[in-house]
Amino acid sequence: MDRPKIPVDLIRAMLAADAEKAAHRLEKARDVFLGPLDTEIAATPHELVYQEDRVSLKHYRPQGAPRLKTPLFLVHALFNRETLLDLQPDRSVVLNLLKEGVEIYLVDWGSPTRKDRYLTLDDHINGYLDNMVEFICRRHRLSQVNLMGVCLGGTFGVIYAALHPKRVRNLITTVAPTNFDTDKGLLHIWMKEIDGDRLVDTFGNLPGNLLTITLLLLNPARLLFDKYVGFLENMDNKEFVENFIRMEKWIFDSPDVPGETLRQLIKDLYQQNLLLKGEMELGGRRVDLQKVAMPLLNIYGQYDHLVPPEACELLTRAVGSKDTEDICLDTGHVGIYVSSRFQKELVPKIASWLLQRDD
Amino acid sequence: MDQDHPQANSTEPLLAAWIKWTMDFWESMTHMGPAHEDLTGGTDDFWQAALKMWQAFFSLLSEPETVAAVFKGIRPPSEIIVKMAQAGWAGYFHLHQQWLEGGALKDEPPSEAYGFENLDQDIFKICTEIYEKDFRQLLNLPQVGLTRVSQERINRAMDRFGQFQAAMAEFIYLLYLPMKKSLREIHGVETGEDKPEEFKDYYRRWLKLLEGHYMTLFKSTEYTRTLSHTLETLEDFTLAKQELLASSLEALPIPTHRDMDELYREVYLLKKQVKELSKKLAQLAPPLEAPEEI
Repeated sequence: MDRPKIPVDLIRAMLAADAEKAAHRLEKARDVFLGPLDTEIAATPHELVYQEDRVSLKHYRPQGAPRLKTPLFLVHALFNRETLLDLQPDRSVVLNLLKEGVEIYLVDWGSPTRKDRYLTLDDHINGYLDNMVEFICRRHRLSQVNLMGVCLGGTFGVIYAALHPKRVRNLITTVAPTNFDTDKGLLHIWMKEIDGDRLVDTFGNLPGNLLTITLLLLNPARLLFDKYVGFLENMDNKEFVENFIRMEKWIFDSPDVPGETLRQLIKDLYQQNLLLKGEMELGGRRVDLQKVAMPLLNIYGQYDHLVPPEACELLTRAVGSKDTEDICLDTGHVGIYVSSRFQKELVPKIASWLLQRDD
Repeated sequence: MDQDHPQANSTEPLLAAWIKWTMDFWESMTHMGPAHEDLTGGTDDFWQAALKMWQAFFSLLSEPETVAAVFKGIRPPSEIIVKMAQAGWAGYFHLHQQWLEGGALKDEPPSEAYGFENLDQDIFKICTEIYEKDFRQLLNLPQVGLTRVSQERINRAMDRFGQFQAAMAEFIYLLYLPMKKSLREIHGVETGEDKPEEFKDYYRRWLKLLEGHYMTLFKSTEYTRTLSHTLETLEDFTLAKQELLASSLEALPIPTHRDMDELYREVYLLKKQVKELSKKLAQLAPPLEAPEEI
């Protein structure tokens, strides 16, 4: 038998060898695509309770009485949508936390337009974030919230906790970069060579599509090729198709990033690593990690190419808190939030960790 | 030198040289050994016939009588036109020569696993060189008169676009390299002892190779440098394009980015001041009242 030489030939050979099966699959796929598909994302019921400019705050209530006195404030990264945390009903971090009796507030950073280009890190952290924490505290007649940050949202959380330590009862960081001086993460390597000033002066805001391309280029073999091969192989499976489309919706919906914020992220963090050095300044105040004295749970992924363990693991040693814990999961950047396996491990762990520190 | 056709004559040696290089090229192609048999496959006869036809054509072109006849029929064009044409022509000949000499026909050595050192990017350097030495000069010709500023803006945008295209071509070539290497290696797997039996095994092995090559490429300084350069040329082009668009909009009652940015900045600063003052006022008011919800 002649062996096929290149993958395209191989794909063709496979299709030819299995033509009947492929025809049946196509027939079923047609029914799947023409039938009703539930591809809604962020479907967990919530209430919009706060709005400031483009930024809004979602409130999720658990079905019964909350097990925790202190609500959990989730801060997502600016680079993509918070809907990642509530992507599909059976793998929703939000829904699973609600099942654990945790009351949740989730920030939606909205869609920055050109008018938002002058917004700085200070505006986001000492402005929007602080105002939302203030709102939650007043609403619950509390003086503190539990804060959980996702990716750069975690970095925001660390900076906020250092500048407003009295407002944060417990801090959780998930795949949050805090050490930017590493050559393990591709973004860390690439950002070193990027001229942040030129980029921001040219584009104003960083276009979301440019960002999406950059993130896809982190692993083109998987994200631009294998993913779609997998889709072709499973396109007769309704549930697979629905979840695939949900993920596509999330991936190709990156908002633009406000220019001045990006300039600071590139220069102060990715290029000079000022946060970990204790030299970062925001709103005229130094961000001192020793002020992060509240309990800290630091979670990251072993195979995360975007935010590698080296970018996360130094945090617990740099903060002033004595109650710290590192958890390194056997997964990548997004797997922590969308894999059912890790949600089964992660969410109960977060809930019990918070419960132990809620008095 | 023929005084009547000085420009034409000065081009003749170039043309002759180019014809000779091209002849050499088709000569070597027609005598291509078994290494390329796989490429031609069943179309071998057609391939040979086509090559011989090209060879015959260039043999005819290389005869002095033909060259003379070609140039005899050409009326002497104005000096500036000839200079412009020569720039492009010389560039093309240079590119062709570099391609022939630079290993386009050399058998490529087997690639080392996950190695991206000594990338053969000469072709892009040559293209960029040709663009910068020849075509760019034309875009930088001094402009005069009433339309000077507008023409300069148009030329600048075209120039930046050319530079962006050159950088983008190099960047895309880099992105293609892992694909090329992985395909070559999977071909090696097929001929080796450890042959996968199933299509899926092939596919998985190829994907792993591809992933490994991309990972190595993305960590290389060559990639970072090229990425950064491509981004810079995109930024230059975007700025030149914006400048051109803004100048076009001046005649219309439409605000430009610059106009809007100035306004946005003022609004941003005013809002910030208002928010700070509101916070200070709120601190003076009685605390801990449940806030109004939207």
